[in-house]
Amino acid sequence: MARIQLENVTKKFGKVTALDGISLDIKDKEFFVLFGPAGAGKTTILNCIAGIQLPEEGVVKFDGEIVNLVDAAHRDTAMVFENYALYPQMTVYDNMASPLRSKLYKKDEDYIKNKIHEVAAMMKMENLLERLPSQLSNGQKQRVAMGRALVRSPRVYLMDEPLAHLDAKLRNAMRTELKEIQANFGTTSIYVTHDFMEAMSLGDRIAIINEGKVVQLGTGDAIYYMPCNEFVAQLMGDPEINLISGTLAKSGDSCTFTMDAGGKVYDLPKEKDLFAKLDELGASKVDLGMRPQNLTYSFEPKEGYIKCTVYSYESIGNKSVIVAELSGLQLRMIAPNGLKVKIDQDVYVDMQLDHAMFFDAETKNYLTRYNEAAIKAFAEKQEG
Amino acid sequence: MAGLRIEHLYKRYENDGKKKKNAAKNDYAVKDLNLVAEQGEFIALLGPSGCGKTTTLRMTAGLEDITKGEIYIGDTLVNNLHPKDRHIGLAFEDYAMYPPLTVYDNIAFNLKAKGVDKAEIDKRVREIAPLMQCDDLLDKMPVKLSGGQKQRVNIARAIIRRPELLLMDEPLSHLDGKARQAMRTEIKRLINEIKCTTIYVTHDQLEAMSLADKIAIINFGVLQQYGTPAEVYDDPVNEFVASFIGEPPMNILETTIMGEGDHFFFTFADSNLKIEVPKRYYNVVSNGFKCKMGVRPMDVLIGAADSKGTPEEVATFENLGDERRIGIHVGSFLLMLITDDEKRYKAGDIIKLEVRGEKTHLFDLETGNRIREK
Repeated sequence: MARIQLENVTKKFGKVTALDGISLDIKDKEFFVLFGPAGAGKTTILNCIAGIQLPEEGVVKFDGEIVNLVDAAHRDTAMVFENYALYPQMTVYDNMASPLRSKLYKKDEDYIKNKIHEVAAMMKMENLLERLPSQLSNGQKQRVAMGRALVRSPRVYLMDEPLAHLDAKLRNAMRTELKEIQANFGTTSIYVTHDFMEAMSLGDRIAIINEGKVVQLGTGDAIYYMPCNEFVAQLMGDPEINLISGTLAKSGDSCTFTMDAGGKVYDLPKEKDLFAKLDELGASKVDLGMRPQNLTYSFEPKEGYIKCTVYSYESIGNKSVIVAELSGLQLRMIAPNGLKVKIDQDVYVDMQLDHAMFFDAETKNYLTRYNEAAIKAFAEKQEG
Repeated sequence: MAGLRIEHLYKRYENDGKKKKNAAKNDYAVKDLNLVAEQGEFIALLGPSGCGKTTTLRMTAGLEDITKGEIYIGDTLVNNLHPKDRHIGLAFEDYAMYPPLTVYDNIAFNLKAKGVDKAEIDKRVREIAPLMQCDDLLDKMPVKLSGGQKQRVNIARAIIRRPELLLMDEPLSHLDGKARQAMRTEIKRLINEIKCTTIYVTHDQLEAMSLADKIAIINFGVLQQYGTPAEVYDDPVNEFVASFIGEPPMNILETTIMGEGDHFFFTFADSNLKIEVPKRYYNVVSNGFKCKMGVRPMDVLIGAADSKGTPEEVATFENLGDERRIGIHVGSFLLMLITDDEKRYKAGDIIKLEVRGEKTHLFDLETGNRIREK
């Protein structure tokens, strides 16, 4: 059980700054996700917490106590790695027992047996205990690696992309399983991933990491609905958010958006707070952020819809994505599977503008969005 | 350009015990495979690893001997034709480019080897390059390219010979998430443009579903189903196809049919879930009949408060931003449903579970074959 704090942690590898003044306050018993693209510094943060790497600057605290000078073995953490790192000559049982047989965290064999069976039952792997790692599928190996960490009661679990090696289907299934047993952890957990679905599903809170910095911190909902910039907006969501550049113009108590591609003028739905905020920020050149599910399409001409051509139509599993093209701008939208759509045929597209987010075209930073107050209140309640 | 016809194709690896440890000696890697690809069609060979899909492709390419059966490209029997005379283009997972040659020379290599004259080669390279968006790359060396760019060059090289048949083996599996998706779209547009008959091997059902005109699903060397993406998704012939196609996979549970008055219901061990059997199955089920029921996560719904659905406890709730997934225990099975509903649930909440009866499938307990209404 521990609250983990990082204060202004900076880590350099030669000339490369891997972490650039990272500050995080991870609550006791929280499931905390570090999410970002490859090379962002997520694993380095984890290693600094584990004590595998030492920061040049800043402090790491466990329950308010500075642990910079405590070596990795004595920090009492349990790690799960992407590549499982199982002992090939040992059975699953012995692999799981290994942390409890180490000098530092030694337990008697009766305790070990009970604990392993308890964890194995929770992870549905009781039938695997006598097997060798070579006799396991990748999903099963992953389960063992996780189980080996869970037999201990460390101060914090550190998990480094534990599902990244699995294929898409298995990864989704394992993620759901992890979600189910998560409530039983009762221990602070820090989870590194580059998969936004894992981040959204598992994290009580998510820290978006990029180029060694914390870009945004909040609940999944807060980040999904109010991403702090276009980079974060694009990370959260698959298919990616549509960013549509154009110009705002205010006249009286109404406001219009003129799209750069095609030049269509949209009358923005009235929302007093939103218009006031846009005014206050002096927003003019903006990028409109529209999630694919907030675009609608028709294959017949329709009032208010803009004419585009189909760039592609592809299934993404339980639904499909239509990509429509308009003067070089590609618009992604969600459609059902099995439509009869031809490449380059006409398609008519409209936007549900009351779901729009606004980003500054220059800085790419978040300005405001529809329903901001309600979403903010909801996110605050979630953080509790 | 030509179609492809495969008739009663068999493949057995002889004296190859070491390599194919798992395959029993007399097992066929490909067994009585029949397949017709019309001219210009895009066919995906889909199946788990070791199912024989790559073996089939390699026999078509002439890289592997045929044990039994016939392969026709157009009207020509190609069993005994040398690979170079089969008019095929190949693009494999590994790019296998010549590292000392520029992208231009890599693309041009095959034509040069054939002795095509320089002006003609240049014309064709400049024609193909923009199609694969590698016009800016022509002067670069392969080491300077990203994975996606290498695969683009690789495909350009395969199509420059204007093959009658384009064969691709997992061309995207080296690429990561977004690059893969982008490349998928490009391949689709390319094939649409050049209208070349294409056979595409993949183990990724999503790739097959999004690219192919028709999908051949293969398991243990045997063709399970051959149809359009919509056919294999909506009308799978057996449990294997039903669970292989779709993500998250179809929920497939053992069920016992129970008659109540003049209605039938699906019931499940250790669960109070009860789903009405659609009328169309009344000819094939009876009280106490045991089979498996399959239903896709999109066809399981959360009922309104006054719904007649069975109240069930939420075991897992996953908010994925674009959609939400809910898991419910039915005995030891975790039944998944997907919803766009904005409501946030948590484990332990009670929801009324409804199932779109008309979207359920029945499978035989033993064989896994579809049980169809009569």
